[in-house]
Amino acid sequence: MPAAANGVAIRVRDLVVGFGGARILDQLSLDVFRGEVLGFVGGSGQGKSVLMRTIIGLVPKREGTIEVSGVDLGRASAEERQATERRWGILFQQGALFSSLTVRQNVQFPMREYLEISDRLLEEIAVAKLEMVGLKADVVDKFPSELSGGMIKRVALARALALDPEIVFLDEPTSGLDPIGAADFDNLIRTLQQTLGLTVFMVTHDLDSLYTICDRIAALADGKVIAAGPMATMLASEHPWLKAYFHGQRGRLAGPAGPARAMGAAGAA
Amino acid sequence: MVEVGQDLVDFARMLGELITVVVRVASRPRTFRLTSTVNQLERVGWRAVPIVLLITFLIGSILAQQGIFHFRKFGADIYVIDMVGVLVLREVGVIIVAVMVAGRSGSAYTAELGSMRMREEVDALRTMGFDPTEVLILPRIVALLIAVPILTFLGSMSAIYGGALVAWGYGGINPDVFLSRLKEAISLDTFEVGMIKAPFMALVIGIVACVEGFKVEGSAESLGLHTTASVVKAIFLVIVFDGLFAMFFASIGK
Ligand SMILES: Nc1ncnc2c1ncn2[C@@H]1O[C@H](COP(=O)(O)OP(=O)(O)OP(=O)(O)O)[C@@H](O)[C@H]1O
Ligand SMILES: [Mg+2]
Repeated sequence: MPAAANGVAIRVRDLVVGFGGARILDQLSLDVFRGEVLGFVGGSGQGKSVLMRTIIGLVPKREGTIEVSGVDLGRASAEERQATERRWGILFQQGALFSSLTVRQNVQFPMREYLEISDRLLEEIAVAKLEMVGLKADVVDKFPSELSGGMIKRVALARALALDPEIVFLDEPTSGLDPIGAADFDNLIRTLQQTLGLTVFMVTHDLDSLYTICDRIAALADGKVIAAGPMATMLASEHPWLKAYFHGQRGRLAGPAGPARAMGAAGAA
Repeated sequence: MVEVGQDLVDFARMLGELITVVVRVASRPRTFRLTSTVNQLERVGWRAVPIVLLITFLIGSILAQQGIFHFRKFGADIYVIDMVGVLVLREVGVIIVAVMVAGRSGSAYTAELGSMRMREEVDALRTMGFDPTEVLILPRIVALLIAVPILTFLGSMSAIYGGALVAWGYGGINPDVFLSRLKEAISLDTFEVGMIKAPFMALVIGIVACVEGFKVEGSAESLGLHTTASVVKAIFLVIVFDGLFAMFFASIGK
């Protein structure tokens, strides 16, 4: 069982992020432990994507510190930053595949830049990565516009894993997939996480994902993390938003059989 | 007024970024994206050739027809050759090509970069440690810098060819006469004045298109708005620059 004992992969302290007059994240603190799958939930527009984008450096922060694998990104030198960037892979909400490149070129793109390897090896690695995410060899020459939503997510995941990262950021990986596809994708993430020993930071709205693959859950409201811990902590929380979220109609239905469901039903009654 | 100021700032910033990237790439030539540049060159240069030839041919023909029609009243038909030669080489060739490139390739650049931004492709690039200016913008602008002068040259030739045909068919001016008169009417200077403007036009169109593309946010409406703005601003600037060049050349007596 992954726990705090493994060390902290991402440490966020007193983070403040805003746009113009709006303060989106207000003194937010959060730890992501090495080797865990952290599910990050929160109402729409609360700033989940903003937090993820701030950690990976796409949105500037106003205050606070962000440490990834012990490196303070605010004070790191360019080399340290680049070394850290190479240790993470990102799956954007809509995949963000390069539309002018084929599936093969998309997966090879980061490797071509950073690894000095022959074309043949590059080819083999790309095919291996695509197989790892459950894609067959016949998609390699297709363009992103010719793929279904689920396939795009898989290719994007393969690209995120191209440089063998230690940390993977996923922004709503199962949104837009049918329930079976979403469950498959959940399993895929779990399998990869376990075989590759990844740390996973996953923004999600999908209660099934939270129940089945997340070791811990953190909830965002009013710019702060209002609760963090395993599912039982969430279910026991008295916070009104968490109660509505986990004990609402959808929450009850998604809960698996066993204590979680019992607690959910008890809470709703 | 505030908006014009902001546009100028954005333009200057993009130019600055571009120069930084050029310096960096020049010191490590291996990082220059040749494939991408050749790709863009094919799209903005090679594939634009037919339409540029056609339009400039027509413009040249119309200029000659109008010239002959009006000069004939004074019995000065022959001056149509001077007019077509000087006008096309100094002004019309480069302006028509620049306007066409702005409408054809500038808009395409803005739409491409804009939709890449909408789909977070630019963010993905950044998080992989790439500089979007180096990967996306430099190849596009280099392609324009090569394509616009070539298109200007081809367009000017085509316009003069069109003018010569009309002069022959409509004005009864023999091609031999046309050619020898043209040689007297124009000098290398006339040609240079037109050609020297071409790379500047390319730079203006390219920078405006990329700035607008990177301003696109979220919605399809924003994409449409910025694509329109890209073409309108680029054409406006092309004309303003042409005016500035005219003043400059007049002051140095060319
Ligand atoms: N670049 C930006 N400029 C201005 N405001 C922004 C920007 N990016 C996000 N915001 C604002 O920040 C807030 C949080 O947005 P964010 O995308 O993080 O929401 P979210 O929690 O991911 O929601 P969802 O679940 O719908 O994806 C929103 O109110 C949004 O309008
Ligand atoms: Mg979001």
